[in-house]
Amino acid sequence: MANDRLKRRLLRELVRENVDLIQGGPARRLRRQHRARQVARLCVLALLPLGLLGSSRLLSTLAADRSSAAGTPAALAATAGPVRASSAFSPAGPQQAALMLASTSQRLPEPRPIDASLFPLAVRKVMIDPGHGGMSVGTGTSGLVEKNLTLDIAERLRRILAQRSFTVLMTREEDRPVALADRAALANRAGADIFVSIHLNWIEDRTARGVETYYLGPTDDPYLTQLAAAENRDSGYSMADLRGILDGIYAGVREDNSRRLAESVQASLFRSLRKTAPEVTDRGVKAAPFIVLLSTEMPAILAEVSCLSNEEEARQLARPEYRQHIAEALANGIGAYADSTARSGEKGI
Amino acid sequence: MSNKTQVLNVGIDLGTSRSSISSSNGQRHVVESYVGWPLDMVARKVLKKPVLIGREALDNRPMLDLYRPLEEGLIKDGSEKDEAAVRELLRHLLALAGVDREHSNGLKVRAVVGVPAEALRVNKQHVRKAMKDAADSLMIVSEPFAVAYGLEALLHTMIIDIGAGTTDFCVMNGRLPTEDDQRTLTQAGDFVDEQLVRLVREHHPQAHFSIHMVRGWKEESSFVGEPRSPVLVTVPVNGKPTSIDITQEMRQACESILPSLVESMLDLLSRVQPEFQEKVRQNVILSGGTGLIRGLGPRLEQELRAVGGGRVTVVKDPVYVGSDGGLAIAQDAPDSDWEKLTA
Repeated sequence: MANDRLKRRLLRELVRENVDLIQGGPARRLRRQHRARQVARLCVLALLPLGLLGSSRLLSTLAADRSSAAGTPAALAATAGPVRASSAFSPAGPQQAALMLASTSQRLPEPRPIDASLFPLAVRKVMIDPGHGGMSVGTGTSGLVEKNLTLDIAERLRRILAQRSFTVLMTREEDRPVALADRAALANRAGADIFVSIHLNWIEDRTARGVETYYLGPTDDPYLTQLAAAENRDSGYSMADLRGILDGIYAGVREDNSRRLAESVQASLFRSLRKTAPEVTDRGVKAAPFIVLLSTEMPAILAEVSCLSNEEEARQLARPEYRQHIAEALANGIGAYADSTARSGEKGI
Repeated sequence: MSNKTQVLNVGIDLGTSRSSISSSNGQRHVVESYVGWPLDMVARKVLKKPVLIGREALDNRPMLDLYRPLEEGLIKDGSEKDEAAVRELLRHLLALAGVDREHSNGLKVRAVVGVPAEALRVNKQHVRKAMKDAADSLMIVSEPFAVAYGLEALLHTMIIDIGAGTTDFCVMNGRLPTEDDQRTLTQAGDFVDEQLVRLVREHHPQAHFSIHMVRGWKEESSFVGEPRSPVLVTVPVNGKPTSIDITQEMRQACESILPSLVESMLDLLSRVQPEFQEKVRQNVILSGGTGLIRGLGPRLEQELRAVGGGRVTVVKDPVYVGSDGGLAIAQDAPDSDWEKLTA
């Protein structure tokens, strides 16, 4: 019974404290201190004019005492400061106005993005193509799907390249289907300097892992023919059709530049990923008839940046750091190619 | 059929390491105080959830932007993400207790939330802000007071509540505890973890381990005084799973909180009115997860001998004792009082 009374009293106090908290006032038990502080503040305010009056009298007395020493060099130096300071605030000219701005606001102009055209790069505009999308999911294992991973790596690559003053475009920025021919058409319309398609590999031998980069060219390799057929599945072209089309295209400078771009990206990918995953192998630069590379009017490559069929690679790909690592390696490869074309004075087409 | 709106009373112990909820519908839940958002699109696809809470968040931490939103028992100040994390944590706890605000079934939620003894008004305002929309009415109480209320230990009692972020002391003398009756120390479970990490790293430099592993070791084998058996843990050393003996490191880390703990306990006791000091000494209650360190109660009793002796009781259910106390407060407070405490 006594305990119930005690509980009721405690609850009443607790509720009162919480009501104070809601109303924003000081807690009840602190109010006395608060009131004392307010009284002290009022006293200070009341005494302030008296204090000021007293101190001004004191200052004027001191000034009168010092007036006899006013002509000495020390006295002149002491008065020079305030005179200079007051002139700095007069609208005397642009220099002083600039000084005023610097000293009073200390505000720097807003940073502006650097115009990429100021830099003599032969390769400025990069079209990134994240493989697959929408119903075309690509390969996949243990919750990881190629279409999502390629988009993630592409977005990371875009950020890195943009920081390095490239103009970057993407064939898709979300999970949606884009026809292979449309991807190339987008790059052509935008006047991209290079085209980089990002994919993930699936190899029957699940122990195999590594990176490989493709450029457009003929192949007699049955594995590559099969791979190209798989990647071209949504294009509407058969491999026989492609052979006919390709015969007329392979020769020429575009193939050569595509190969150089592929070599640069492949070297960077392998060099960089081996540091994180020493088991990664260099599966090399290869030519294959990928439809997405066929219709582009600029050097174009397709990079298989990792093997989802390998358990360890899949585990690594689930880590954002590893995907960032891949994006950085791709960016370094593109950068090295851009530098080399700038040095040789080519546009790269 | 009754027209009366249904009321659900809940008590919440918002802890640095674990948060628990006890509700009037009989539900009791505890979650680790971690909140994580998928880092990127891939993580979102893999995890299939916009936000993960508790153990699920901890287990998937490589794919998450992970937050432990309470520090030293309080909502971290200044970070919107931490505030959002607390909101998610509270909503999750309420959802576990059967509260679905989005598909409200007319249930009125009255919540009592425990905060550290010396929490500032601004900290309490943060909790109020985080609870807005999550409950209809809200009361904020000092955590050790909630413990005391739940245990009906309201007179001549000292509560020592050792959590992860803070150790809270509170002397109950029949009135709502004032600042003079309470203390908060930041030497608590996290402090023990930090010491253990430092010591194991010092003595076994080749061993690889994380703070989460260290917390697990502490929960399994913490002790002060003499060990019952060696504390052996398995860690990778140069990639190879290796068993190491951390008995001495564990003892040293656990005992690192003793000096400040004993000092505060004796200091608060000395401030109790002389005629009641004996009663309070005989009624020291040890609660909180870190209060479960084996041998801690007897060690505090040993220290009390210097001032005339005393008895330390370790609560049976330290995980829920705070939230159960909050629930008891919520149920005992009259309707007329709750009407003044809109969230």
